[in-house]
Amino acid sequence: MLTLDPSFMLIRHTADDAESVISDLADTLHTYGAVQADYGQETIEREKKHPTGLPTKPFAIAFPHAEAKGVVESSLAVATLSSPVSFLNMADPEEALEVEVVFLLANKEPEEQVQALRQLALIFSDSEKLVYLREIESPAIAAEWFRDQLLNLE
Amino acid sequence: MGKLIVVACGAGINTSTIAEDMIRERLDAEGLEDVTVKRILMADIDGYVGQMNLIVSMMKIYREFDVPQVKGMPFLIGTMDEKQALLDEIVELIRA
Repeated sequence: MLTLDPSFMLIRHTADDAESVISDLADTLHTYGAVQADYGQETIEREKKHPTGLPTKPFAIAFPHAEAKGVVESSLAVATLSSPVSFLNMADPEEALEVEVVFLLANKEPEEQVQALRQLALIFSDSEKLVYLREIESPAIAAEWFRDQLLNLE
Repeated sequence: MGKLIVVACGAGINTSTIAEDMIRERLDAEGLEDVTVKRILMADIDGYVGQMNLIVSMMKIYREFDVPQVKGMPFLIGTMDEKQALLDEIVELIRA
């Protein structure tokens, strides 16, 4: 089960680059107590080695994450961006993607991470859902929407 | 003799798990029980040369192998139709 607090939802967020989005998202989790202080930095390091941008339609997304150590409580933080930032394409790290929504995953158990990814893939592969998510205007509604999306599944 | 499909991804992110689930399900539906699906890290792919019959890769591969390779990204982000088309292609290639 992923913790989805409204404070993890950064709506129309402004950030200069991928690193600051990751760090802002990780800060929301850290403030809540869901991850340790270095989770953001760990994730930034991992993103450099194994980028997580995805060329989803109609706009690109990214799902940065780090290893399970440093995670106190499995959680998901999301930023919808007021203007896109560049992430590298997971499938082709030579290609930069202009990303509009960033999903920061924090999972305590590897098996749980697989499960979370299975659920998120149903959002990634559905353009109507991605557009709906991008247009959500309040953190409370965004958190509620994610609970619905992720709870409908096992 | 049974055939082997390897599903390769770059890191332990487990994106290949999603591809493996869908391929496994389709192979079962087709009655292709003698086909094995194995998740591997791209870095380990050389160890499967000579054993594998098809590569499904979640990442771009910059090399050619002596077996066909298909891109697995639609399993993660493709539409239903794209996923179906990819599964059709995989079944066709593994039956060949």
